[in-house]
Amino acid sequence: MDDALRALLLAAADDELVIGHRHSEWTGHAPHIEEDVAFSSIAQDEIGHAAALYGLVAEMEGSDPDAIALGRKPEDYRHAILCERPNRDWGYTLARHWLYDTAEDVRLEALSESSHDGLRAVATKLRREERYHLLHADMWIERVARGPVDGRTRLIDSLTHAFPEAIALFEPLESEHEALERGLLPVPSDELRKRYVERAARALDELGLPTEVGAGADAAAEFIASSSGDLIESDDGADPEPAGRAFGGRSGNRSEDFQPLWEEMTATYRENPGASW
Amino acid sequence: MEVYEVFRRHGHKDPFEHCGAVIAPDPDMALIMAKECFLRRGEGEHLWVARRSDIHSFKDESLLEPTGDKSYRFASGYRDVIHKREKALARVRELSGGGAA
Repeated sequence: MDDALRALLLAAADDELVIGHRHSEWTGHAPHIEEDVAFSSIAQDEIGHAAALYGLVAEMEGSDPDAIALGRKPEDYRHAILCERPNRDWGYTLARHWLYDTAEDVRLEALSESSHDGLRAVATKLRREERYHLLHADMWIERVARGPVDGRTRLIDSLTHAFPEAIALFEPLESEHEALERGLLPVPSDELRKRYVERAARALDELGLPTEVGAGADAAAEFIASSSGDLIESDDGADPEPAGRAFGGRSGNRSEDFQPLWEEMTATYRENPGASW
Repeated sequence: MEVYEVFRRHGHKDPFEHCGAVIAPDPDMALIMAKECFLRRGEGEHLWVARRSDIHSFKDESLLEPTGDKSYRFASGYRDVIHKREKALARVRELSGGGAA
């Protein structure tokens, strides 16, 4: 069993599956019919990306991608806690969509240089489709940010909740040291996290949105109080990490929001494991 | 929000054809919506959107109905024209003096 590769693949695959599932909950409920179709399509894409990544795990282990995706216990999932949060309202969904797809671009850019052939190929392919997701997210954020005050306020509230949790998308992985040594993961998570925070903060600044929602030591105090994840503190203190919360997803710590999602997502599979479709 | 008409092209040598409409706040958003609604399954390779209000048409559609015999505007109206011409010439000869010319 290649633990380092497995951890790397599952982190990305579980993020895609779980956020894809959350996105799909908008099907039939999105603000207007065209967006309903568009967002459902993005949800399908994310689940498709998860399938491609589970496929790599299955190939490595000689197992079945469906069993990996849907046959695990809740504590065996490795997605970031951000992905399992309920959709709340359209403002939160958009904020998370934008934060997630921006992060995904940073991650896939790095993974498209992986030493693992299969992963490199999948990352390159997924990134092409993610370009469109990013376009969709950018367009929405831009319009809501520059639109009427109600939407803008909701967006800012949502970013304030979601950005500190999005930072945990770049929580170091299990066996990360080995993944780095072998070049499976070409860039350390800490470095990716810095790139991500810089990029996201710059974009928010250009839109005239507050950037302190994502970084800053002042915010950390508030985030530590969160019940739903561990705050990972900087190792040395000299180079403070961006403040974040809801860390722990990469080592299987789940918030209370995951159990109901898991029950629904895996219900059909659990009724008849191994059924073919 | 405005209505945008969507036009789709199947291949690069094909004409753009109307395939539906979306409601969107601006052209960029309309393109995104159109891509998802009308190009989900590889039905084409290019899309246009145009504001419905930018499309002009006749106020009175009855102006477009053909009036009278327009067979001369169709190739079929010229079918067998040689034979018809010969018949016409024969008739001219017959009327102008019973072939004594």
